[in-house]
Amino acid sequence: MKYKPSLPEDNDNVSHDQPVREFVLLFSGITIFLLLVFWILGLFVDRAVDYISPEMEAMMFSSVGASASELEDGSDPRQAELQNMVDALQECTHLAYPLKVHLVDSDDANAMALPGGRIFVLNGLLDNVMSENGLSFVLAHELAHFKNRDHLRGMGRGIVFSTVAALMTGAGSNLTQLFTPTVGFSQAQYSQERESLADQQALQILGCYYGHVGGATEFFEAMKPDDKKRGNVLAHYFASHPEAVQRINNLHEMASTLNLAIGEVRPLPAILDAQE
Amino acid sequence: MEQLIIFAILLSLGYFFGRHAEKRHYKSILKREKHLVQLPTSASKYLLDDGRRIKRAHLVNGSMVVSVDYFKRILASLRNIFGGNVQSYETLIDRARREAVLRMKESCPGADQVINLRLETSSITKGRGKQIGSVEVLAYGTAVYFYK
Repeated sequence: MKYKPSLPEDNDNVSHDQPVREFVLLFSGITIFLLLVFWILGLFVDRAVDYISPEMEAMMFSSVGASASELEDGSDPRQAELQNMVDALQECTHLAYPLKVHLVDSDDANAMALPGGRIFVLNGLLDNVMSENGLSFVLAHELAHFKNRDHLRGMGRGIVFSTVAALMTGAGSNLTQLFTPTVGFSQAQYSQERESLADQQALQILGCYYGHVGGATEFFEAMKPDDKKRGNVLAHYFASHPEAVQRINNLHEMASTLNLAIGEVRPLPAILDAQE
Repeated sequence: MEQLIIFAILLSLGYFFGRHAEKRHYKSILKREKHLVQLPTSASKYLLDDGRRIKRAHLVNGSMVVSVDYFKRILASLRNIFGGNVQSYETLIDRARREAVLRMKESCPGADQVINLRLETSSITKGRGKQIGSVEVLAYGTAVYFYK
């Protein structure tokens, strides 16, 4: 046998397809699939939330919450004042919901509606509102979240979405990062929708309580400069709340459609005034 | 958001550097294969031409450890969801196999034949697959030298 050396002309062991094309195809396929799955699962979460009564909710979350050190002492007179305001506003929501206000020491200006009927008011909020009406609007906004059960919907979605993403890719793998935007986008879009709804209802609560909606945009006016810091075109799509400017415009629009007048605002209760 | 940017940077770094390295490696493989094709190599345990007297014979081996780039790893894990050909790993294994054989041949200059060629592959990242994805391919055989 004579050895005749030669090399194969083609390499049949490797494919010559475009890897970028494959990547785009697989990635967009799975993203569309996930968006669809999230949408359907979101509907299931909404269904489940309908079955949870406020009492049941209070029971479920009674043991969960921020640690005692994060909360200001319960004897803080400011907290009692906030509680009174919430109780008074609640009469306008036609909703009996056991609510408890907590004042949290923080420089951030925010308020949160948390499962278990808790409203967290961050200290910084009090520096950013000028009047009682302005503060009432923020509290009414949180009340509207409770009325719509947005805190439960949001949490339910969070749990379900991250579970699905982790199940598909294996928790903590590189792929999970790839789907984070999809999860974030799904949640942000939904959240922005709910925030706008809560704004609208808060406006109605304010109108019911004061007879006018003066001061409703106060907090957003104060928050406007913060939006500029985001500065990113894409960030808007992933933000949980609509931009302050947009919310102010929406509120003005809603006020005129609902024929709600803008009247004189009341000063902040002395005890809540930061200048004191 | 920052996480996403870092991820995109890693992905494109992986893609461009990986592609560059692969191209360069294939170029070198083709060149050396052309040169070394003159050394007959077979998987048989018998000599290809047994008319001549053997002067000496010894074990030769060559191995290569090759790692996959970030882009390919992500592409492969996407592929894991759908199933099918993991094309992004094909070149990786192909390069390692050919490089190992080449190194083995280069380790016995002057040999007349290499017989009994065997290839072995081992993953050196077992259990830590998420951090690194690399394989070693080992080629070994018997180099035979004849009396001239």
